[in-house]
Amino acid sequence: MIYIPVTSLDVYHNFGLEYYLMTVKKFTEPVFLLWTTTPTVMLGKYQNAFDQLNLDAVKAQQLTVVRRYSGGGTIYTDQGGCQFTLITPTTNATIDFSSGLELITAALNQIGIAATTDSRNDLVVAGAKVSGSAQYVTPGYKLHHGSLLFASDLAVLAAVLQVDPLKLQAKGVQSVRQRTTNLQAQQPTWTATEFRQRLTAAVLAATHAHTYQLTAADEAQIAVLAAQRFAAPAKIYRQRGAFQYTHKRYITGAGLIQVAYSLAEQRVTALELSGDFFSALDPAVFARAVIGAKFTRAALQPLLAQQLAQTPIVGLDAATLTDLIFQDPAAK
Amino acid sequence: MIKEVHMPKLSPKSDEYFFGEWQKEPGDSVEVGDILFEVETDKVVSQVESQEKGTLQAQKVAEGDTVKVGDLVATIKVA
Repeated sequence: MIYIPVTSLDVYHNFGLEYYLMTVKKFTEPVFLLWTTTPTVMLGKYQNAFDQLNLDAVKAQQLTVVRRYSGGGTIYTDQGGCQFTLITPTTNATIDFSSGLELITAALNQIGIAATTDSRNDLVVAGAKVSGSAQYVTPGYKLHHGSLLFASDLAVLAAVLQVDPLKLQAKGVQSVRQRTTNLQAQQPTWTATEFRQRLTAAVLAATHAHTYQLTAADEAQIAVLAAQRFAAPAKIYRQRGAFQYTHKRYITGAGLIQVAYSLAEQRVTALELSGDFFSALDPAVFARAVIGAKFTRAALQPLLAQQLAQTPIVGLDAATLTDLIFQDPAAK
Repeated sequence: MIKEVHMPKLSPKSDEYFFGEWQKEPGDSVEVGDILFEVETDKVVSQVESQEKGTLQAQKVAEGDTVKVGDLVATIKVA
């Protein structure tokens, strides 16, 4: 087995790394990763963000939203928890979680945490879920991804994953709600970092894994995959085809500004800002800040102001941009 | 000659899968081993590859459909 240390807290990078290992690097041995992220909600591959997330809470908590390539439901994670990844070369497409779960369960037991597996392939302690798993299977590889709660903020978890059941659409994979708990109750003197170090050491000792350090060339390719496949709002929110609304105007001092967007249930589901203006802004970051917000001036203008404060557009203020978004399309 | 593509069994526990994205559109050429589509079941997203070489003629199911093992999902025109 190969162990690759992951120091990035950027979930887009870390999913880009997994994808890179499966599709470009293609090691012929299994690979083990253990990593953590800034506060993040992860959607399953075929879930609808607008069904699964309390987007007001996601915005208020400034959480990162990402879509996994694996199946299953939505999870919340932060630096109080961690993710494990096992990428195994295989041509056997039959679904099987057991080998990965046995490895992690044995390592947890080794460090004094009495976790067991349940029928949904979750890890539980005294009946409460501490870890969920999902997989992504290609013709050559099986990726087993799992999340572990050690000292995660369960109040944030509850707030962001609480949605109105009436909103749930028929077409899409639904999450299964379960009682969750933190593993720290089992080892109260450990920090989350200490937990990760001990778990990693236990896995490495059990597998006799050797370490591979990512090179600058690896990182360059990972960055491209992360941006294209995981950080792009169209991938996260599954925007397809044309935008519903396109407003553009020449603004003296700023240049031609065009904003295209789509709405669902009076919320922004996609947004693209373009034009010949001068700015260092990243359109994907800008879009992610606004997607999910209620389509009212009161909700949008502060979000636009926040983005423009971080990455200004020469000659454009938030009120003018808000006017453009809400302008009557007939008024040119 | 037209060959039918049927849903393979992927899960020992379930015979009903959530149909995901098509990777090939009607008219696309298909090689043996090319990914045709994805399905999800039991928290696993699986890519399903073609056993045939030819041209994808028709998609018989769409994303979001529930498909059962053995269901007709596509037809491929082989030389």
